Amino acid sequence: METTQRPLDLLFTALADPNRRAMVEQLSRGPATVKQLAEPAGLRLPSAVKHLQVLEHGGIVVSEKAGRSRTYRMRPGAFRQIDDWVRQREAAMEAAFDRLVQAMHDIPPEDDTP
Amino acid sequence: MTAPAIEHATFVIERELPASPRDAFRFWSDPRLKQRWIVCHPDWTVLEEHFDFRAGGSESKRWRTPEGAEQSYRAAYLDVVPGQRILYAYEMGFGGQRISASLVTVEFVPAGAGTLLRFTEQVALLDGSGVQGRRIGTETGLDRLAEQFQAVQPS
Repeated sequence: METTQRPLDLLFTALADPNRRAMVEQLSRGPATVKQLAEPAGLRLPSAVKHLQVLEHGGIVVSEKAGRSRTYRMRPGAFRQIDDWVRQREAAMEAAFDRLVQAMHDIPPEDDTP
Repeated sequence: MTAPAIEHATFVIERELPASPRDAFRFWSDPRLKQRWIVCHPDWTVLEEHFDFRAGGSESKRWRTPEGAEQSYRAAYLDVVPGQRILYAYEMGFGGQRISASLVTVEFVPAGAGTLLRFTEQVALLDGSGVQGRRIGTETGLDRLAEQFQAVQPS
């Protein structure tokens, strides 16, 4: 378990480059090898490796070596989906409770004094 | 391939309501009143609807989205005390796949002439790499980073 947050500036440095952002977009659709990542970006392999090392250092991706090729994937929890889910759900419920307050204003309490 | 991780979170929403807990409770127990405010999607076609509000009862809904996918909601009411609290468990499904499971506690606390509504949801988000997850993938993550960045910028 991680106990500390990755420093934000490492993360921002990692994402400051359009080539690296394109790699992140690609990896968010699934793992890929260095070669698969270099090609669409029109990068030479050594240059792609350098970019990927920055992303790995920034805590966005992880890699593992299998045979002669290295495969990269998004680091689990790099952009936590649960945070997005909760934000969307909170926004939906806040909007629902706005409507609830309005509905309670529109429909007066039943006259059922105990 | 590694198994998709299950993620957990809890969030609380509090809201002041303009009438007594007893009145506020009606807006959860009466389907016609609940219909007026609960989250709805006018562009979704309702395929099935069931509402049995009591401890041990259940509620379920199925829709077809304009894209043709099936979305489902299924809840089980665990504890119902009129004017005081409602506990229910619910699950959300998309395209026949379970996306999340939650425990929700709704508390109605008397506050002057009105009610303090406290809504607590404890969620387990399943299959983070599923269809839904892909839709709210990296782009949202990048958007959020941009928001955080703006938030810490001196104005």
